[in-house]
Amino acid sequence: MKKNKFGALGVYTVLYLAFLYIPVLFLPLFSFNDSIYIAFPLKGLTFKWYEAMLESGPLLNALQNSIELGISVSVISTIFGTLAAKAFTRYRIPGAKPLTAFISIPLVIPLIIMGISLLVVLKSVDVSLSLFTIGLGHVVICVPFSMFVMISRLEGFDKSMEEAAQDLGETPWMTFWRVTFPLVLPGIIASLLLCFTISFDEFMLAFFLGGEEATLPIYMWSQLRFPNKLPPVLALGSAILIASFFVVTFAELVRRRGVQMQSSSGA
Amino acid sequence: MSDESYISIQSLSKHFGDVRAVDDVSFDIRRGEFFALLGPSGCGKTTLLRMLAGFENPTKGEMYIDGQPISGIPPHERPVNMVFQSYAIFPHLTVRENIAFGLRKDKLSKAEMNKMVDESLEMIALPGYGDRGADEISGGQRQRVALARSLIKKPKVLLLDEPLGALDKKLREQMQLELRDLQREVGITFVFVTHDQEEALTMSDRIAVMSAGKALEIDAPATLYERPKTQFCGDFLGTMNFFAGTVSAIGGGEATIQTSEMGQIVSKGPNMDFKVGDSVLAAIRPENVEVSMSQPEGGKGLQGKIRASAFLGDRAHLYVNVEGREEPVLSAMQNLGGTASRMGGGEQVLWLTWSDESMILLPAT
Repeated sequence: MKKNKFGALGVYTVLYLAFLYIPVLFLPLFSFNDSIYIAFPLKGLTFKWYEAMLESGPLLNALQNSIELGISVSVISTIFGTLAAKAFTRYRIPGAKPLTAFISIPLVIPLIIMGISLLVVLKSVDVSLSLFTIGLGHVVICVPFSMFVMISRLEGFDKSMEEAAQDLGETPWMTFWRVTFPLVLPGIIASLLLCFTISFDEFMLAFFLGGEEATLPIYMWSQLRFPNKLPPVLALGSAILIASFFVVTFAELVRRRGVQMQSSSGA
Repeated sequence: MSDESYISIQSLSKHFGDVRAVDDVSFDIRRGEFFALLGPSGCGKTTLLRMLAGFENPTKGEMYIDGQPISGIPPHERPVNMVFQSYAIFPHLTVRENIAFGLRKDKLSKAEMNKMVDESLEMIALPGYGDRGADEISGGQRQRVALARSLIKKPKVLLLDEPLGALDKKLREQMQLELRDLQREVGITFVFVTHDQEEALTMSDRIAVMSAGKALEIDAPATLYERPKTQFCGDFLGTMNFFAGTVSAIGGGEATIQTSEMGQIVSKGPNMDFKVGDSVLAAIRPENVEVSMSQPEGGKGLQGKIRASAFLGDRAHLYVNVEGREEPVLSAMQNLGGTASRMGGGEQVLWLTWSDESMILLPAT
């Protein structure tokens, strides 16, 4: 009985994982294939798409735009998110519940609606579209994520930690650096990574709010029409895949360290 | 400054909005004393402790430590240290780093600091634990690390907020004795907050019993237990039977109380500061109420029936219904040879007796 059950579940698991990962693995596979057509059979091993990627000005430009955008958005959103989380966890704010709900509304509004409405507003106040306007949109959708990450971090934070540091002779400023900051750091890093990821692959808002400068998702979308421009995009995709593998591993390590700390803070 | 009033609390009040958490409290704590602030939750004991530590500012009044007024001095400059209820062990630091946390400003060499921490670990019986992470030690060990971290600062006063509240019963009893020994060894004045009367009785030199922001009585544990001066204190430290009545005769160390429920009660207790006609409570501890199965000689004793009994292992509590009285009279008897555990409920008639010396008088409230 038990064995049968496991067998059925096993098949399901294998199918599920295959569906999840085989398409992703096609990306690096075809990025080394010596043909502009993404089709079997494979023609031969080549690194020329990676060379083409490094030589493609617009592609690298889009990558640079996306990275700059992602960094700015993640830093700004994390600052806002942390402040909001601190306010909600530390102080008694009248109407705290409706306020958190309103801040989190962007999580449930379809991005296409957000995109159009932001576009209407920006146009009506005559702001020209650019990376800056995309950034505004991204901050709006990233702040709630950051806020929830930080709330869960700060809720486990025992206020007597800070008091203990002061009691042991540290000024409020040194207390922040020796106790508060190290304790919330895992939350801040998690928030930065999350917001960066959201901004980095966000398409809808970037499509509506973007000007001349394309972000990476927009650039990739535009290249799909030209078969010969596609393989360098695959090469880039593979490179990003490898990079995100390391980033996610790092983030998970930080998170585990954070979980350990929280469980031991006795709160 | 004197040893008698090493800590002096003078007309201290703390109001939170309309709530008077601490309400015009004045008392002194002696140098080297193990002093307990005892009371139910919300009585203001923790607020008082936090004012001594500097985490709350008094609304009115002043506190002196070793002759120096301390209000307005920020926590990090006060000559006191605190052991927090949660222990507040820094989770991102090792045991060694936790204990050495407060030494940064002392500009010690690495070797000196290590030596101090090692001595400190020795004192709390955790040698070799220095390199453990904060999450690798047990609850009892965390409490010791919190103690060491505070004591290494050599404070004039150590404040402890419910120091044993987070430990299980066995460990708590063990730590009560250890804390007591540690305090004698270091000779530092300890002020600790607790809601556990047993803990306060076991550990302290003196106890301040607090209720509703006031310090009702301050005295040695035995005095407070045997001769409370208020109903609250008698009731909070252990349990007590109270009989309301008026003084009908008093003098020569003896008073007669006329009660509505149980006729006359005679008291030869310590507190005879009453006049004829005063409303009083005659009060007696359950362990001073003796139970006999037959009527004692001389026709003395109060007849009653058992309403309920609670078996506590080493002793049993009997709740005895007495004619004319709504509430049962509580008697505690030693379970010698299993006598108490065989004491059943039901229709069994028994007699309650006590000595007039153990019947004390309290002002009616």
